[in-house]
Amino acid sequence: MAQSGKGRLNYRCPSCFMRDIDMDMFYDKDKGEYYCLRCQYRGNEEDVLAKNELARFRYGAMYQRFTFEDE
Amino acid sequence: MDQFVVNIIHRPEMVPEYAEKVTGHGKAEDLGRKALLTESLDIFKTQQECAHKNGLKTTIQMTYASLFNAEAVALAKEHHEKYGDEIAMTLLGLPCEQFREKYKTKDFCIWMFSMEDKKAIVRDVFEKFYDAFGFYPESTGSYYMDADLINFIKEEYPMVKCAVATCWEEGPKAYHTCNNSWYTFMDGGPWAPWIPSKVNTHAPAANEKEDSGIVAIPHLSRDLLACYDGNGSNFGTHPQNVLRGMIYDTKTWEYPYLYNLIDQYRSLAKYNEGYSYNMMFVGPGWMNKMGRWEQPYELLLKSYEDGCAYYGKLKKEGKLVDMTMAEFADYYRQKKAYTTPECALWKDILYGTDKQLFWYCDPFMRACVSMDQGGAIVDLRPYAAKLEWPIGIGTPHIQDASYPFLIQEKYRAGYFTHYAGEGTVRSAKVCYGGEEIDLCLCRTHAKFRQEGGKRSLVLDPVELVFADGLTLKLQTIHHFKEGSSSIETERHILSMSDPNAEVTIREYMVACYGTTEYTEDMSSLTLEVKSEDHTETIPYEYKCREAALAGAKEVSCTLPPIKTRVAMTADGEDKTGFIREGYAFSPMFTLGWEGKVKEQEVFRTWLNLERAD
Repeated sequence: MAQSGKGRLNYRCPSCFMRDIDMDMFYDKDKGEYYCLRCQYRGNEEDVLAKNELARFRYGAMYQRFTFEDE
Repeated sequence: MDQFVVNIIHRPEMVPEYAEKVTGHGKAEDLGRKALLTESLDIFKTQQECAHKNGLKTTIQMTYASLFNAEAVALAKEHHEKYGDEIAMTLLGLPCEQFREKYKTKDFCIWMFSMEDKKAIVRDVFEKFYDAFGFYPESTGSYYMDADLINFIKEEYPMVKCAVATCWEEGPKAYHTCNNSWYTFMDGGPWAPWIPSKVNTHAPAANEKEDSGIVAIPHLSRDLLACYDGNGSNFGTHPQNVLRGMIYDTKTWEYPYLYNLIDQYRSLAKYNEGYSYNMMFVGPGWMNKMGRWEQPYELLLKSYEDGCAYYGKLKKEGKLVDMTMAEFADYYRQKKAYTTPECALWKDILYGTDKQLFWYCDPFMRACVSMDQGGAIVDLRPYAAKLEWPIGIGTPHIQDASYPFLIQEKYRAGYFTHYAGEGTVRSAKVCYGGEEIDLCLCRTHAKFRQEGGKRSLVLDPVELVFADGLTLKLQTIHHFKEGSSSIETERHILSMSDPNAEVTIREYMVACYGTTEYTEDMSSLTLEVKSEDHTETIPYEYKCREAALAGAKEVSCTLPPIKTRVAMTADGEDKTGFIREGYAFSPMFTLGWEGKVKEQEVFRTWLNLERAD
């Protein structure tokens, strides 16, 4: 089994991201999955992207444009 | 007319901090790698182009490494001539082959070097700069510039008038976010430009004698709510930081948050006599051709182009003035007196709540008030102490540049603690019929008011409902009188369902000291409550003792490790002052006042800060 490397993009662990930790993941070519050295997360690219969307749950006003003139 | 000033700063960092790690993964370290140097310079060119095409001038902060690069030097000269950009010098970007060879270290944060090395590096870099340009720079900076470093630079190079000198709330949170590997501990400073004191960079100068001689600007303008709780590196006027926080639509690549952030900063003019400020400073590593984390290069580039385009649009509309750092220093000195505070009533623009925080900063304190906790003070830094805090190798604080807190609700809990003990917060409890209601649980909002030198935070009244049916309306007002080193707090009992009822108000401040989440040794602290003819003292021994005096004049705590004395006084002689020692599981102290109030009456207290010696 060859050593792990970086994938197409440098994905962070979505599970760690949700607890405010930026943790680069490494890519296991044999299993076709990214995995985290710190926690137990592992998943393919599709799963990483889906979990990244999930991580945005806290940004309730992410798409909103505010005005400040009248305050 | 309001003036919104922006500083846009670029640095040709020949070996960007991040690029070497990311692009070089799997390769042996090579700081002179040609591809890396070429790419870095290309990114700098791109950034300059983004600003110039939007009609914005920049401050070019030459790095040590770039001074060895003829093309970078020539570009700076050309852009100075053509666009009016300032050629300045940064103490970031030290790593390069020449630096490693000369200083035999991989350290790169100027404030962490020994004083001897700081002096040698400053002289080296400034003289190298002079050789390249024939003059010395007027602006400089780093992520943090400690007071001894600034004093040395001013002594040797008095023409320096502006410096990037701190990253707001980049401390333990940033360290944790970076898997405990990013050693920039610099919490507790101003979020907006200030004049650092000679003794402690974070504490603004109160007068000419204390003036370090420079105007400091923060590294980025950061979200005053999101960065207080979360990772500072996700929520600032740094487009790629916003991407790092994943605050964008992955389908459309839009990020309204970036514009909301800029606009909220712009709106702060109404709390600061018509002036507001923004700073954008993106290192080239953030526009790496390899992409940055989940973001491909195209998105990184787009975000920077969009950021510059937005500032450019504001400029075209007459809503923004772009300045170089040196120009800004002159402007700031004209605009602000030493004791003029910086105020920000900040609202949530990201999470979809209606939370508000009020930040106040002057030469005597930095304070944060949470409207979501009934106007509780949730962060307090006693700048009045002007604490000497040398930083770097050979000092007691090799990395930790944070200004110590008395109150920090995130690091030492606030109202809520697990199972036992208390967290740091300044609030009040209203007591009636054996029941206590803490104002921390009364969510509300506030408005800002200024009358001459007095800034006031006027909270919307809250309703308190007691189990036996008594209801009352209470309004909190905090007054910050310029130059006073104190916060006056009023609790107005506006109405009660039983006009003859009498309630007890217990004003309190639970505090400690520190710069991180972990407790410090409290053994040298002394608590005191005194009246005209009597004083009760509790030397801190973790014995859970308390003392109270009816008709007291003052309650206080002296904290020798941070050379701070914090005291509370109250209006009227019918109040009781109390002090409480903590214990091992709750290493805090409490100062407070208790008294009775009726409808239409006011309970007034002051929190006073001073240097202990």
